[in-house]
Formats: sequence, C-alpha cells, structure tokens
Amino acid sequence: MKCLLIASESAEVLFYWTDPEFEQNIQEQYGASQEEGEKPPAFEDCINTLFAPIIISCSTMVDRLGDGYTSFSTENNHSYVLHQFEECLYIAVNGDGEEGEEDLRRKIYVMKKMIEVLFGVVTLSSPLLRKELRPQDTEQRTRLWKHLQSLLETYSRLKEQDQSFLVEAVERLIHPTLCEQCIEFLERSLVQQINSSVERAGEEVLHAFILVHTKLLAFYSSRNASTLTSSDLLALIIMVQNMYPSNIDLEDCAPEDVENTSAPDIFYTPEPSPTNRDSGTDGDSFVDPDIQMAEDSLQTLECPPHDPSTPSRVFLEVMLKEGCYPMMPHSMYCLPLWPGITLVLLTKIPKSNLAMSIYVFLEAFAKLEKRLSEGLEGSAARGQTSIQDLRNKLDKFIRAVGTVDIQTSALQSVWTEFKSRAFIRGGHGFNRGLVPWCRGMKTQLCGVYRQCFMAENGVGGGGPQRLSPSLQDRALIMVQEKLIDWKDFLLVKSRRNITMVSYPEFPGLIHFIYIDRTAGQMIAPSLNITDRATSELGKGPLAHFIKGKIWGLVNTSRLYLQKGYSTVTLRDGDYFFCYFLWFENETGYKLEVKELPILPDDSAPIGMLAMDYYRKLLRYYSKNHQGEVVKCYELLTVHLGVIPVEYILQHCSQLARKLWEPSRIPLL
Amino acid sequence: MADNTVADSRYNYFFLYDGSKVKGEGDPTRAGICYFYPEETPLDKQELLCGQLAGVSRCVSELSSSPVRLLRLRRSKFAIRMKGDFLWALGCSVDIPDVSICNLLDQLINLFSFYNGPIRKSYQIYSQEDLAVRWARYLSHLQEGTTELHHIFSCLSTIDSTHIDPLLLLKAALILQACQRCPLVLAGCILFRGRVVSTQMSPDLTVKVMVHETETYNQDQRTNGLSSSSSSGSSLPSPVTFTTVFLTDPELHYLHSAPVDRTTRSQSTQSTPKEVNRPRKSRLLSRTLSDTPPSDPPEPDPARPAPLSLHCPSTPGSSTSDDLLFSPSLSFHTPPGPLSPSPSTVSPQISYHSLPNGKSSHEVEEGVTGGLHDQSLDSLEGGDSESGLIGVGPVQSCDIPHDLNRHNGDSMALDGEKAGALGFRGQNSPGCGRRRTGIVADEKEGHRGKVQLADTGDVPPAPCENSSGPPLTTMTLYQHRVRGLVLALLVEPHFHNDTAAVEEVYHSSLASLNGLEAHLRTTARGGAGPQGPYTFAHYDCIQNTLTTNLSGRPGGAQERSFVRATSLLHSHFSHTEALQEAIVRNAGAAVYATRSVAQETYFLQQGGALRNSGIPNHQDSAFSLPSKARHRLLKHGVNLL
Repeated sequence: MKCLLIASESAEVLFYWTDPEFEQNIQEQYGASQEEGEKPPAFEDCINTLFAPIIISCSTMVDRLGDGYTSFSTENNHSYVLHQFEECLYIAVNGDGEEGEEDLRRKIYVMKKMIEVLFGVVTLSSPLLRKELRPQDTEQRTRLWKHLQSLLETYSRLKEQDQSFLVEAVERLIHPTLCEQCIEFLERSLVQQINSSVERAGEEVLHAFILVHTKLLAFYSSRNASTLTSSDLLALIIMVQNMYPSNIDLEDCAPEDVENTSAPDIFYTPEPSPTNRDSGTDGDSFVDPDIQMAEDSLQTLECPPHDPSTPSRVFLEVMLKEGCYPMMPHSMYCLPLWPGITLVLLTKIPKSNLAMSIYVFLEAFAKLEKRLSEGLEGSAARGQTSIQDLRNKLDKFIRAVGTVDIQTSALQSVWTEFKSRAFIRGGHGFNRGLVPWCRGMKTQLCGVYRQCFMAENGVGGGGPQRLSPSLQDRALIMVQEKLIDWKDFLLVKSRRNITMVSYPEFPGLIHFIYIDRTAGQMIAPSLNITDRATSELGKGPLAHFIKGKIWGLVNTSRLYLQKGYSTVTLRDGDYFFCYFLWFENETGYKLEVKELPILPDDSAPIGMLAMDYYRKLLRYYSKNHQGEVVKCYELLTVHLGVIPVEYILQHCSQLARKLWEPSRIPLL
Repeated sequence: MADNTVADSRYNYFFLYDGSKVKGEGDPTRAGICYFYPEETPLDKQELLCGQLAGVSRCVSELSSSPVRLLRLRRSKFAIRMKGDFLWALGCSVDIPDVSICNLLDQLINLFSFYNGPIRKSYQIYSQEDLAVRWARYLSHLQEGTTELHHIFSCLSTIDSTHIDPLLLLKAALILQACQRCPLVLAGCILFRGRVVSTQMSPDLTVKVMVHETETYNQDQRTNGLSSSSSSGSSLPSPVTFTTVFLTDPELHYLHSAPVDRTTRSQSTQSTPKEVNRPRKSRLLSRTLSDTPPSDPPEPDPARPAPLSLHCPSTPGSSTSDDLLFSPSLSFHTPPGPLSPSPSTVSPQISYHSLPNGKSSHEVEEGVTGGLHDQSLDSLEGGDSESGLIGVGPVQSCDIPHDLNRHNGDSMALDGEKAGALGFRGQNSPGCGRRRTGIVADEKEGHRGKVQLADTGDVPPAPCENSSGPPLTTMTLYQHRVRGLVLALLVEPHFHNDTAAVEEVYHSSLASLNGLEAHLRTTARGGAGPQGPYTFAHYDCIQNTLTTNLSGRPGGAQERSFVRATSLLHSHFSHTEALQEAIVRNAGAAVYATRSVAQETYFLQQGGALRNSGIPNHQDSAFSLPSKARHRLLKHGVNLL
C-alpha cells in the first residue's frame, strides 16, 4: 500500500507511482461507485479524482491561512506526507506500516532530487517543469513515467537493502592497493587517452569511477574538475543501479569464495589469468544470473531497447572559484564491465558555459523579483550598477546565443518588453509591477536552457553529441583487461566488504556503522540477508530481526539529531544501541560540541542524498573554526544488552579510533 | 503554579463539526459548526478551518477506509476524532507530542459525554449556546493549572504528597472508605484546590469528576452552573450538589469490580428497618473511621422501584434493572484494581494517596495503628485543631484495636473463613438494591440494543444503543464542598432521593472533611521544596500521576531543555515497546530516561556545561546519570532499582 504522487496546483497529476496493492485498493474503491457494465476509468483518472479534494484543500489552506498540510495519519496507521515544492505538491502514502512519515518525507525529497538531476535548471520554472513531467504525447509520457517509477523503485530497494543508502553515504571497497592501482590506471591510461582522442566530440571526461554493485572501487577526478558532491554521486549510483540492477537474492557466493573472504582479504592477490584469454569475448560468454536479471527488469519497463552508447544527460552541482552552480549539464556514460561491475564516465559537454551564464541570469532575476515583491524598490534601484551590468551582459548573451542555432525570439521579445518597462524614467520602472516580467524572464531563460541541454536528450532518445561508440568500446576493453583477474574477487568482496569476524577484540558487539560525513563515506560490516547465504548474524528470522533493529536505530538517531542531540544511547529489549556524532579537525583533534540546530518536524530529511543536511551542519559548525578544516563523524553501534555499559562505551571509543585509519584512504 | 500565558497558546483551536447538517451543495458550512473555540474567531475563518479540515479528513478516511487521527500543518497540528457525522478537532502548536494531543482530545470528548451524555442526544436537548458554555468550561479545565510536563503526560494533578503529612492522605482514604459503606456509593475521590488528595476511581474518571470541582472552586460560589445538577432540597446545606453523569460500560465495570468493603455493606443490608432510622452521631463515625459500626446506612427498599432521577433530562425511556453481575459478592473474586501499584516500584509514601481502601487498611495495621485512633482525630472534628495528628495521646479504649483488626480482616476479604462466610451472606441477599438507571442513549434506529445483564423483571431492559459512541449509563455525582476541599462520590441515581442515605453520608463525613480541610489548608501552602542540583519527572502510567521537582514557572535554559527532551523521549517510549532506557545529550544537557510497565522516569543533572567533544568516551559524565538518578531520586520516593 504505497503511493507517490506529484500534482500541480490545479490538481493535475504530473507523476504518480503506486505499488500493486495501492492500485488494487484504488480500483476497488472506484469499482464500488461504478455503474454495472461501465468500463472502469483509466487508473490515472481514478487517482486524480480521489486525490483532487486533498490537493485543492492544500492550496486553499496555503492561500487563505498561510499554512499548508504536512502530514495526515489515520487510526489504522496509514500515513500521508505532503510537501510543496514551488507549484508542485508531492504526496507520499503508506498503508502497510513499512514506512513511517520520515521515510515518506525522504522519498519525496529523493524524488525531487532525481527530477533535478534529470531536468536541471528547468525545475526552477514551474510551467516548464509541468510540461516536462507531463508530456502531451501519451507514449512519451508513459515512457517518462515508467523511467521515473523505476528510479523510485530502485531507490526504495537500495534503501531497504543497502546500508550505504540507509545512511546515505558512499561505501568503498576496502582494498587500498587495488584501489590505488585503479585510480592510477584511470588517470594515466583511461582519462588521458579519451581526453586526447579526436573522437570525443568536444566532450571532456571530468570524473571516472568504477562501481561494484553499489560500492565504489575507485574514483578519479581530472585536475580541472570540481568535486562531485556526495549527493550527486549517490543519485548517480541510483541511476546506474536502475540501468544495471544487481539483485541480492539471486547473487550467491560459491563456497570457495566464502573461504577466500573470511580470511583477512586485504592481502588477496589473484591467480595469474590464463594467457590465452580473449578479453573481448570473455565478458560476453560469462553467464550470470545478473544478466538475466538486468534483461528481465528492462523488459518489464517496456521501454525501447536502450542504446548503451547513448549517454544520459545529468545535471550536477559544479563548484568553481567564481561560485557554486547547481544543476550544470553533464553526460554520463555507464559502461558495464561485467554484471555487477560498471565503469562510469562523467563528461563536460560543449556549450556548458552557456548553462553557467543562464544560471547567473536566473539568479539575478530571482533576486530582483524577491526584492521587488518584498516592496524593496529602493534597494532594487540602488543595485542600479549591477542592473546595468546585467542588462549589458544579457544583451551580449542573446546576441551570442542567436548565432549558435538556438531559438531566442521569445526571450528576445520578453527582454525587450522588460527593458522598456524597467529602464524607463531613469530607473523608476523598478516597482512591484515588474514582478511578473521577472518571472517571464526566468521562464524564457529556462526555455533557452531546455533547448540547449534537454531537447536532444529525451529519455532514451539519442542525440549526435557524444563520445564515439568505438571510443567507448576501447575504454571498456581497457578497463576489462585491467580488472579481469580481479573480477570474481571484486564481486565477492562487494558482498563481504568487511566482516564482524575481523573485530574479535569487541566481544558482544553485533554491528556498527561508521560514517565520515565530510567525505560522505561509510564503513560497516556487510549484512547479507539472503535465504541461501549464511551471514554472521545467522540465518532467517534473527538476521532479519537485527537488520530491522539497525534500520530502526538509524531512523531513531536521525530523529534525535533533528532535535539537536548528538549522543544517544538506548536499551532496547536485549540490545544496547549507541549513536555518536562529533567533529574533528584535520589532524584528528576532537573539537568541542556545539549546540546543534533544532529543526521542525517537517524539515528536510537528515541525510546526504537530498538536501544535504551534513553539508549545512559543517558550514554551521565551521563558522567558529575559520581557516580550519572541520570533519564530522558518526558512529552507530549495536551491542548485546548483557554487556555492561562501561565496556560498551569503551568499545565505542576504541572502535572510533580504530576506524579512523581506513577512512584515510584517498578518494583521488 | 498555573502558567496561563503559556496555557493560552497551547491549544489554538477546537471545534465540533456535524457533517450531517451540510449535505447539499447549497448548505453553508456554518450550519455544521456546533462549537468553535476560540469563539471570537471570525466566522469565515471558522468556516474555512471546519470546511477544509472536515473535507480533507473525509477524503483521507475514504482513501484509507479508516478515520483520520491527526492532521499536521507546518505551524500547527490537529488531533481529530471522527464518529458518524461528527468530527472533533483540537489544534495545538507543533511542540506538543502527537500522543499527548490525541489523548487530550479524547479526554475532552469523554468529559463532554460524562456530563451530557451522547453527543447527538445532547445537541437535541440543549441549545448550542448552553453546550458552548460547557465546551468552553471543559477546555479551560484541561488547560489550566498545570505545567507543560502535565500536558506532555496528560496526567492528573495531585497534591504534592512529599509536603503533606502522610496521615492526612490516609485520613482522606478512610473518609472515602467510610462513605462506601452506603451501598449506593460506588466510589469517590477527595480533591483540594483542584488537586487530587485521594481517589478510588480510575485516573480517567477522576479527571472527569474534577472538572466540576474546579469549576465550582473557581467560581467560588455555592450554587453551580450546570443545569442538570441541583442542590438537595432536603435538610442538607447548599455545599452539597448532585449532578447527573454518564458512565461508559468499562468505567462502570471498573467501579463495580474495585475492591470495596462489601462485607460491611452486606451486613448492613440485613439490618432491620428500625436500625435504619436510628439517629446517628457523627462523632462516633468519625472517631472510628475504619471501625465497623453496628449498623450502616439504610438500604433502599427493595420493593420500591428505584426512582428515576428527575434531573436526568435524557432518560425518556429509562428503566431500572438489578445488575446481578455486579452483585457485591463478586468483588471478592476480583483482584485489587489497577489503582494499586506494585509495591516494589513505588515507595509507600507515594502510594498512600491513591491506594484503594483495602490496602490502606492493611497499612494501618502494619504501620500507623497507634497514631490513628487517638484524640487528635476527635479534636479534628471541630475543625479548629491546629495541633495536628502527631503528638498523639494513648489509645482511648481497648476495644478499638480489636475492631480495627476485625475490620481489616473483612476488608481484605481475600482469605479467612470469616470473610468467606460474610461473602456468602452477601450473596444470599440479592434483594439489596443495587439499581441503576439505564438510558436510551440515542434517538436513532435503536436496533442493536445493549443487553442489560440481568433484570428483576419490573421493567423490560432498556435498549441502550448509540450509533456514535459506546453505551452510556446514568449515575449521579455527589459533591460536598468544604471550602477548598471537595468530596466527590459517584452514587447510584436514586441515592439522591434516598434522604436517609444522603444524610447518612453527609453527616458521617462532614466532621472529617472539616478537619482534613483545616490541615490541608495550613500545610499545603508551602511552596516547592528545596530543589536539588538536578531535575526529574516521574510519571506513573497506572495511576496517571506525575512527581517532579520542576516548578511551573518558566524556567531557565536547562529546564526548557529538560521539558523538550522529556517530550521527545515520552513519545519515543509510547511507540517503542521494547525501549527501556535512553540517554540523550546535546551540547548543554544530558537527560536520562527509564521506564517500566508502570512508570517512566526522566532525570537531568544540572551543573556546569558538559565539556566534551561528543566522541564516545566512557568517562563522560553523561553515562553516570543512571546511577546518579537511582541515588538521588530515592529521597523523592522514586525507586529505580
């Protein structure tokens, strides 16, 4: 009984996702009110009709009371969470008790994050976003919605199964030597070769990384690239997982693999590979349940076959010296090395400096609009010089854009109108009456942006602009050759990255999660809850029980962190849980705790994937530590309740010290 | 103690909306608004809130096939109850935990039905304006006079037992016990200035009874505002009032199953009519409060049909029936009611004021036998004694201890042949008039009739059906006020007409009440005791009481931080069953919380800022809180072992 709905203010459904139970529930309700023999209406219409009163009431409350709904709950514990982003209302529903309000809110924010990654700056203009999310063409709409639905399902699956998506931090494969080798390989061989090739069609590889399932093996960023934020990296992993899903239940380890990994596996060196290997076909002949899986899930999507050489257009944050530009266009190439192992290339596309200019203009108009609508005409006019500056720059921009084959007539005419109103009578035109024209300019700028970076993209559609397929193939083969000996090891390692048996000095410790929030990385013993594989937690119900406890603990710790508590210990049944958050400087010196902000119940979820809480927290904390690098860490532990608290706390501090080292593995 | 400026902003809205009045397209929303608080809200805003919230609630409850419980907005939240066409909504700020606001709304709705009966019915009988006055009264009752902590736990406000001589609490319990000798008295409580001194009723019921008390106390007048209550016309003076109240079945069952000294009642029912009319001396009764008098209050004449309460406006088809299920002898087989706490977790000092009478008697035997039956009790009768209970003289007569023992044996009634024999005697007198008046609770289709458990055959069982709530039974609330002190008794409806019984109860308790009031007045004045370098709150989930050293005044940063942590932890406890202990810490303060089935305790150690980095460190002072709490709270009667 789950549902997620995006609606416009006029109660038009812009997107929906439901699970089969919810769909059935809706249809039953609708069936009851339906005359005999009548054809049941389309599901989209049913859902629209049933939710319309809620959506309309929500906007009525906002208009007339200035306060909108955030959540409903019913006596049978159904939860509804509502959140308005600009003119789009998101509603998430759960009726099976599997998700709480926090989970639903998180789902809403993640959905919004995915839409931003897919549509970029267009999301800043509500009318354009409406058109984008609900294309007129039914077939196109179905395809887009299917894509978004499957992204949402992939996210939900990862959040349920994967600890790194539970805590929203990237998990790295712990194998420093291999990691270093790979990074060196990516830098010296791969990226250099691609970027010096003539077949790159003006694109430039900025970031390259190798994923083993959801875990990061190696990550390389070229020298002139800005850092990829954790939020964006996590979103990209969701997209990769959506394209090439790895299924935990089907994946199983052969017994010998298990033996391999239960030994301290950092010293694993592969057998030399057979000399007569044919690297090109080796991967293809490999038959794995994962291939089956990937094909199956693609078929259920009923999408036209995806051309693997077509990049996905993604919009990611770029941090430069001049400032921060969110949602700048990139192309993402996902090259599957083997099932479960993927090479991802992120490239800068030509024209991307256009995106930056457009963003600067958008920001300027947004600021102007805000000042005007707050009645601060004075200060708007005082910004005369910057307004003049804006005028000159925009004039130049329109002339420049006109030459590169982009429709600018609409922008041109709105801009002309704007100028004639604003710069009349020596700046007296800056008044409230200009607000709609500010909006108009924003919409037009977003329209130009859309033309530049979206039109050729389309979901599944391909433009001519990309690294040539042969170049992509060469890159793929290069990396395959490099990693062929490690392939099986990596697949197993990704399941047993680190294991609790490596921590015998902590008797009674059942599980822990250690997170470096500055780097956005986490370490935790693997939790494999499958029917076939026995993990250290045992099999079946107990393992599931403990997994449930861990998931619950993470939610609880967030609840307290939201209210400003950085240390929590809980005795829950037979278990004892601890949660700690602390700050250090670069040398590992522990910084003193500061009063953390207390957030309202309906604030953005605490995490890194959407609306990065920790980034804000670090910024907040660093105010008192100017010129010092501040790092933020979290540790969660689960102990047996019979262990005396004193020992538990000792364990926690020893563990924090011990784990400090591995997290030093360089990301670059 | 009361912090009204805070209280005022605690609930920003309350309304009752009747959807059945707004069915057609053209029906204005205002037609459905039965009551809206604050009443000065502009009508269009009332309509907006009622219309939107009711509309959304209906829509959501259709989607989920279940009534809505809570609607949250960015700046406020509304607890919702939906029953039939009616919708109640109570709005508050977002700081109040969900569980608390939902509890409060339920309390409010239950209060209304306690005094007015079924909602639909009461809106047919009374005008909207009359009922509006009542809603306002109940609302203000729930808001006033308590601290924020009381709201988090929605608990009873009790007098601070640590500053009261325990003998006074015992005396209060004994007064209640004595009143119960009249078989028409079901249970009672004693309140002082809006706080509970002693109660025999469940916490829920006590809260309901308190509304009336607080109301009359605040008005400071002898007559009361409720139209359905009246002063007894007989020889009783004006401070006695009778109010018709409506009890739910579980409440009634609870009252009947509470361990009451039934044996003495049974005895009394066998007394001859001559004895009934024997003039009684209040002196005798009050001197031997726990003594078993040779004869007891008059029994109602079994041959006479129980009189209908004239003051019960909603009993057009009422009938009487003897409820054999609840016959006195049955009480022997029921364990002590949930009011009796587990002795291992609550210190005796605390437990006094709310122990059921049986247990109190037991403690009399164990501990305070010497001090109880002495001259000071006699001297209390005049109400002029300031000498107090202590400084006792010798036991007056040697037969009193004997009586006491006998009484204790009877009241425990769980073992001993004598008790058993008495029990059987009680059972053998089925004619004793334990009657109650059923009411026709709802006007509409009365098919699903509530089956009366047994009847004497005089009148067919009354259909007591109610489409919008549980069946309700009418009872009468007897209240006797002595300045700040109130004795409230739940009595059978025909008690009111039984002049002899009324006089009996009145006169037997008058002197003791006077004495108790005088003592409470002089001792209860003491302000909050010395505060230690810590803050704590101890919530008893069973008795629904709170012990805390936090004053109601707006406190410092640490106190606010304590309240915030407590509210968070309390709601965490309320939805995580397995959670037993928690320590949460921010930069300024660490709070320790622990709970068992029966209680929740919160503890904050005050003092210098905890200088720490937040990294796990077993020497951290926050983790020594549990042992500190155990140690410190012992002297407050909180045992965390």
